[in-house]
Amino acid sequence: MPSKKILVIGGGPSGLEVARGIADLGYQAILVEKRDRLGGTPDEAQYAALTPDLRNAEEAIREMIEPVENNPNVEIMLNTLVTGSEGSAGNFRVKALQLGKPVEINAGAVVVCTGFQHFDPGRETQKYGYYEHDDVITLVDCEKLLKAHNFVRPSNGEKPKRVCFIQCVGSRDRQIGNEYCSKVCCGVASKEAIEIRQQAPDCKVYIFYIDMRMYGYWENEIYWPAQEKYKVNYIKGIATEIVKKGDKLLVKGEDTTLRRPMEVEMDMVILSVGMEPSSGTRDMAKIFGLKQNKYGFIETTGGALETVSTEVPGVFAVGACTGPADLEDTVSAAGRAVMKSIAFLRKRELVETI
Amino acid sequence: MALDLSYNKYADVTLDEKERLFDEVKADLRYHHALYGCYECGICVAACPSARFYDFSPRVIAQAAAREDADLIYTLMNDSVWDCSQCFSCDRCPRHNSPGMLITIMREVAVNNGLQTARKALEGYGRIIYKIMSTGTQVSPDMLQPNAFPDWGGHVHEISENLDIWRRALPPETLHTTETGWAVDDKTIIELYLIWHMTGVMNMIEEIDSGLHMILVDVMEEKLEEAGYDLSF
Repeated sequence: MPSKKILVIGGGPSGLEVARGIADLGYQAILVEKRDRLGGTPDEAQYAALTPDLRNAEEAIREMIEPVENNPNVEIMLNTLVTGSEGSAGNFRVKALQLGKPVEINAGAVVVCTGFQHFDPGRETQKYGYYEHDDVITLVDCEKLLKAHNFVRPSNGEKPKRVCFIQCVGSRDRQIGNEYCSKVCCGVASKEAIEIRQQAPDCKVYIFYIDMRMYGYWENEIYWPAQEKYKVNYIKGIATEIVKKGDKLLVKGEDTTLRRPMEVEMDMVILSVGMEPSSGTRDMAKIFGLKQNKYGFIETTGGALETVSTEVPGVFAVGACTGPADLEDTVSAAGRAVMKSIAFLRKRELVETI
Repeated sequence: MALDLSYNKYADVTLDEKERLFDEVKADLRYHHALYGCYECGICVAACPSARFYDFSPRVIAQAAAREDADLIYTLMNDSVWDCSQCFSCDRCPRHNSPGMLITIMREVAVNNGLQTARKALEGYGRIIYKIMSTGTQVSPDMLQPNAFPDWGGHVHEISENLDIWRRALPPETLHTTETGWAVDDKTIIELYLIWHMTGVMNMIEEIDSGLHMILVDVMEEKLEEAGYDLSF
């Protein structure tokens, strides 16, 4: 008996938006999440504020969770890890472990929303020493400090006077194997720079970059205000090495547009780590036989014009599991996946009726 | 000459002093209309005539200001701002910066603070400053005579040879000569002198060239006193 339910895998922004859309259209969604709560990476990593509007992240994600909680059209399965799948379009029999106990979920279509993971700076080929120096942190660590309104040096708890961001850590790098741009880090770093200047006005903030990629309204909503209102200092040139000098960090690089070598002392360095496919994304690709690109992201079929369909009928993918994506991309793609997955079920239904 | 932008080039000047001068630049009312932010696109350099001839970059001026780099601003205030021709072609900046205006302000701060480099840069202009400030006028077409300004170079001789033909071919807006052009109404002169005094120009001149200042005071004193103004205000 074909199922008209749609399985949504992953309870982050894309999964939440897909589940909500399916429910709004009167269809049934089963939302599975391996963690014990919804909210995905923004919740797990404790983001302080969203890019570009600096909206409180917790509040915004809560607003995404509310419509799917206690929704008669959404069945939420927490602590549930998808481990296998049998059957095919219209009749998937998906195996999962819920709190360690095997369960089977029947669904007519599947939407994979398993997102990304932050690049592990231990893998970078420059010498930034993330695991060596306490005061070298990542964008993600910085979110936590900002959220707690406790932007201090991890090494000694003091307020920093000079901090810098280093962009493109783990992105745009053939040595590492990630040639792509992670799309959001320029905006996120600039947003965090603004928050640092708000929370610690005496702290000078530098951003060392290759290209600033602040497309659309991110230009006037984050980049320009960061420069003009918050006096964040953008320097084109990437650091090659960080060494300890007394209780400071010495950052070595080139100030390219001023044509001069650069060796500057910093109290803290924030590595703008990019996106890689999450382990969940890699696992779901294998389980559902989805084609992955060379970076491990799930490939959709139609380039710019088809952002959610995969080569496997009845299986769709949304957001950062298909490649670097911001929240706007994710939420827009989620709407498209709702439309595509329901259309897919309805077409099958029509064929079966005839 | 290549512009040396190395860190702390003027090591004998303290960072506090450099910051004091930069604060003076930033305190100028025009500053916030001259600088927003710089993404280093280079359109100002592309449009800049001085950049064709000198190692001069309006971009670097805007960058240094946007970065609030007091050390670099000090270097530029000494080594770069006098290479600008103040044509304001750089005003086409997509961020609405005006590197030329930043330079105007930086020059004024340099002069007001008696920077040695400012004195040196303005050394050759004493006679022009004297002429403009005492008469309100400077060049009229018939001044292009071989002997008038030897420091203008050999081509003045060529031009002056057929000056009448040049003038018919390229008519200037007026046909002023030194005789008519330098004849300035007394009322205008008095107003000019008052402007020089009241806007602080006389103080600037005093800061960079005390000899010139003395001569100008002599010239102005008499006329201003005749008109009933007391020079000591």
